[in-house]
Amino acid sequence: MEPKDIKEIKTIIDLMKKNELSVFEIEKEGFRLKLQRGSSGQAAAGALLPIAVPSKAATTAPEAASASPKPIESVPLKEIVSPMVGTFYRAASPDGSPFVDVGKTVTEETVVCIIEAMKVMNEIKAETSGVIAEIVVENGKPVQFGQVLFRIR
Amino acid sequence: MFEKVLVANRGEIALRVIRACKELGIRTLAVYSEADVDSLHVQLADESICIGAAPSTESYLKIDRIMSAAEIGDVDAIHPGYGFLAENPHFAEVCESCNIKFIGPSSQAMQAMGDKNAARAAARKVGVPVTPGSDGIVETESDAIKIAKKIGYPVMIKASAGGGGRGMRVAHNEPSLQSAFHSARHEAEKAFANDQVYLEKLIINPHHVEFQIVADSHGHMVHLGERDCSIQRRNQKVIEECPSPLMTPSLRKKMGHAALKLAKSVGYENAGTIEFLVDQDRHFYFIEMNTRIQVEHTITEEVYGCDLVKEQIRIAAGEPLSEHVAHATPRLHAIECRINAEDPAKDFRPTPGRIEFYYAPGGRGVRIDSHVYTGYSVPSYYDSLIAKIITVGATRINAIDRMRRALDEYYITGIKTTVPFHAAIMRNGEFRAGNYDTGFIERVMSSGKLDLISPPIRLHE
Repeated sequence: MEPKDIKEIKTIIDLMKKNELSVFEIEKEGFRLKLQRGSSGQAAAGALLPIAVPSKAATTAPEAASASPKPIESVPLKEIVSPMVGTFYRAASPDGSPFVDVGKTVTEETVVCIIEAMKVMNEIKAETSGVIAEIVVENGKPVQFGQVLFRIR
Repeated sequence: MFEKVLVANRGEIALRVIRACKELGIRTLAVYSEADVDSLHVQLADESICIGAAPSTESYLKIDRIMSAAEIGDVDAIHPGYGFLAENPHFAEVCESCNIKFIGPSSQAMQAMGDKNAARAAARKVGVPVTPGSDGIVETESDAIKIAKKIGYPVMIKASAGGGGRGMRVAHNEPSLQSAFHSARHEAEKAFANDQVYLEKLIINPHHVEFQIVADSHGHMVHLGERDCSIQRRNQKVIEECPSPLMTPSLRKKMGHAALKLAKSVGYENAGTIEFLVDQDRHFYFIEMNTRIQVEHTITEEVYGCDLVKEQIRIAAGEPLSEHVAHATPRLHAIECRINAEDPAKDFRPTPGRIEFYYAPGGRGVRIDSHVYTGYSVPSYYDSLIAKIITVGATRINAIDRMRRALDEYYITGIKTTVPFHAAIMRNGEFRAGNYDTGFIERVMSSGKLDLISPPIRLHE
């Protein structure tokens, strides 16, 4: 990659940060670049992540990575919290399959779990949309009002 | 005995209940709102469950969530404290049907005494004197006028579903009765969802004297004397003392006997209080019964040498009345001052906020029941009571002087409190002489002669 390209990429990174974009993808003849602002666990957080680049760029990519700007803060995950007091169940019945798993896309109306209180099974809706990133509570454990159940990307 | 108790309350009374449970070796589960996350009682409880957002209607009054927490926590009993659901017969019923012991009377006894008009009828039935008034609910304006003519003005219009000083109106003559009758019903409908009212003769500047009763589930009931709660501001008690300065042994005998008769007639169990008005001629009249532990139970404890909350728990667990309670006799005098987060210099405006520094008095004969501490934020969602200070003395004047001494050490900054107001009352001649009635605070405040007295110390914060 030429210095001019690196300068362009740095500008893109700055713009992404400024406008709180998490993903930027570009494809031009012979060149495809995807920049993703890191969330936790991503070793290359804040660094450039060239997906498929011409061989010339590949050899200079690591240098570009080390010359990357300071790490960008990860996008905070949304939380689904308990609206009641009861026992948390991931499925409708003991041998049933869970309503959601990590990676499942949900909308506001998606039932994500059951909270049982006084022998009444209450279906809990996501009330937000996104992808399940984390299941915070263990199946069958008691939950209190306001307790985090799921984290959503 | 219970293994685990859920405390369905907050603030100082939740702490009081937890202390009693800890001393009895009972595990505790505190339920709390989001505003009470940092509350002392939540930290001291063995377990705690958040049951909702700050407003009481979204947390402390949510029966379903409290029962859910009771189920998860696998508790044997629930102590409702005072206020909130403590006198809610439906809540007591729900506990009964869930096989969780409600620490208090049965829902039926609660119901019988909760309806203020029905309680009056029960009193009349067993020959306990009631304030002259209507024989029941007053349906029409013309009925009200007829009754008022008979019993004589001034009269009080009281909401049957009211109580605790709420839902009352005074009329001094027929024209004012006409408008007061309708507005009282309207207010009652809004406040209690029940517009039923009854009439009572207004007794001018009476003493408010209440009797503490305790009954076990084996038919044994005793009274533990009286408390004088005449020092009130806008029908809310601010200072209580035990015994009452106007009591005589024979009056105590008569009133105690009446209190027991009434409570027995509804099969009352556990702790309860029968409230009377006593006029200038020492005639007493039943006004209402409180089917719960009261804020001022503390002064009875100090004078009669007992722990009423522990006794409540023992009774609920099926034990007979403790020997020392069954044979308790009064020794000493006790006074309680309710310390509120209010500014006495600004018409007692509530002062929620962060307590920057808190230092409570100590020494012989001083008891503090409080949940607050340095750095604690008094929330705006609940009542303003932040502490009760109780002093005990060999004589009434000893107890008053001890209170005066202790209030001078009670150092609270960050918010205004009523400490300086109480300090002034302890120095007031009429109060010290025991010459007061329910009109006392009103008179003393409007005379403008009450100089608030702040603690003379300045502590390093």
